[in-house]
Amino acid sequence: MSLVGTEVVKQGRRLRTWVVFGLMVAIPVIITFALWANPPSQPGGEGGGGGDFFFLSRSSGLLLPAAVLLVASRFLLIGVAALFGGDTIAAEASWGNLRSLLVRPVQRGRLVLVKLGAATVLTALSTLILVLTALIAGVIVWGWHGIAGVSLGFGFFRVPSQSAGLLLWHLVIATAYVTWSLAAAVAFGFMVSTMSDAPIGAAAAAFGLYVVSAILDAVSAIGSIRNGFPTHYSDAWQDLFIHNHASFEMVLGSLVQLGYVVAFCAIGVWWFRRKDVMS
Amino acid sequence: MPPDASPTPTAAPPASVPASPVVEVQSLSKRFDQNVLAVDDLTFTVERGDVCGLLGPNGAGKTTTLRMLLGLIRPTGGGTRVFGEAIVPSARVLARVGAMIEQAAFVPYLTGLTNLRLHWEAGGGDFEKADVEGALAVAALGDAIHRKVRTYSQGMRQRLGLARALLGQPELLVLDEPTNGLDPQEMRAVRGLLRRVADGGTTVLLSSHLLSEVEQVCTTAVVMDRGRLVASGTVADLMQAAVSAYLEVDDGERAARVLREVPGVEGVAPEPPGLSVAMDGVERWQLVDALVHAGVKVTTVTSRHRLEDAFLGLLGEETERTS
Repeated sequence: MSLVGTEVVKQGRRLRTWVVFGLMVAIPVIITFALWANPPSQPGGEGGGGGDFFFLSRSSGLLLPAAVLLVASRFLLIGVAALFGGDTIAAEASWGNLRSLLVRPVQRGRLVLVKLGAATVLTALSTLILVLTALIAGVIVWGWHGIAGVSLGFGFFRVPSQSAGLLLWHLVIATAYVTWSLAAAVAFGFMVSTMSDAPIGAAAAAFGLYVVSAILDAVSAIGSIRNGFPTHYSDAWQDLFIHNHASFEMVLGSLVQLGYVVAFCAIGVWWFRRKDVMS
Repeated sequence: MPPDASPTPTAAPPASVPASPVVEVQSLSKRFDQNVLAVDDLTFTVERGDVCGLLGPNGAGKTTTLRMLLGLIRPTGGGTRVFGEAIVPSARVLARVGAMIEQAAFVPYLTGLTNLRLHWEAGGGDFEKADVEGALAVAALGDAIHRKVRTYSQGMRQRLGLARALLGQPELLVLDEPTNGLDPQEMRAVRGLLRRVADGGTTVLLSSHLLSEVEQVCTTAVVMDRGRLVASGTVADLMQAAVSAYLEVDDGERAARVLREVPGVEGVAPEPPGLSVAMDGVERWQLVDALVHAGVKVTTVTSRHRLEDAFLGLLGEETERTS
């Protein structure tokens, strides 16, 4: 068994992993039940909020995952990404197991790549479980079909008709985009993890980065600098469902994430390769 | 061995055979961020088959030295070689080394056996060919090997740590305070194990602050204080360098006064119910002769060659030299 295999065993037997996966199943189920028990009324505004998606999900079960994705990507999924990213190296260090691994010897570069890969896979898997559970629950309650044009925002705004196949395709792209938009959180958590022996601290730092980004992003006086914040384009995928096309903002959002991922990972790897392992 | 090491260097190999020590530490230094000099120009070697004890008080730099030897810490000066290969982080030659640094640590939610397996397989090894039976015999955990490590006592973890270090029958064993957390019976068992491992041809480098442990187990020793080398050599030579005698007499105060006048007596200290006498170039019979001539009745006299005496003496000399 390789280092990848040992990492799979470590993560697979960890209670934390299964608690996260359990949450990813429970939350869509709870939301579905709530929407079924108390159907939402048509929201006002210009469209694109969580209320719109909850309202639209009554039209097709294929839209429930979009609604769940929207609410989860603003808090829950960021926490999950930060948790897995912050855990990478710091968890081994906090157990005191890092020195044993390095003396075995496991190459430092290889170790960080495997740990980072595992955190990325776990984050993506969590998002996928969330979306699939929502899809199954939504289809069971509201069926598998497309939507006819729906008016939102007191008739000022209209969501175009979309077939079931098109909705599913949009969902796949949205899931991929949301997963990628979490990459900076994983990378920042990983970077802090190489510098710390406290996995919770590293996870909190990554989560804090997104909180600060979201707060500053809401201050329009900051101007165009906000375009470089990791959360600025987080919701750009909504255009897929609301306007029936992918916006250029998704490309910009992906590039911003890429910049952060490259920078944070490079710093993390550089730091870890020269780090004195004291723990 | 460094040229100024005292009292005598480890026996050199025959001149015709190219010497290749298992461990070479050359002018090794480590300065931490807060300008703390943890290791200062340290040089020593460990020859094949040696059981070498790294001795020193707390803060002497033993653990830092071992960490540098294993590539966990980068030296700020000098370097280390193991089996002739320069040590860098995760150096391949470390595959020939078994190590336990400070307290043995494991993934807490996995069983002891799974921890051993994952540790070995993380390095690409085949667990079935890693002398697992031998390692498990060392751990002596019985069915507890299938329990999660978080349920283990400190002693059980330490034994599992030794087992992990012995996986794959390493050619060099590096152990940092290996008997920490063990009860006296377990400590004795570990000492026996180290002797057996050494008899099997494995070179052992262990740090310890337990002088009796080093005295019983080690063939050579390196004494450190405040990051510097104080002395190195065979344990027998180190002990020989610090000869003392223990005497029981009928009048301790008078005996002490008499003994202090004897040439070659370096110090007399009460050690109830008798006296401890540090000697340099004087024989025991001369002490007895002086006491008898002074009318002091001597009931017991024994010679001492203890590592503890040597250690304390060496550290005392070092303190005087540097102050």
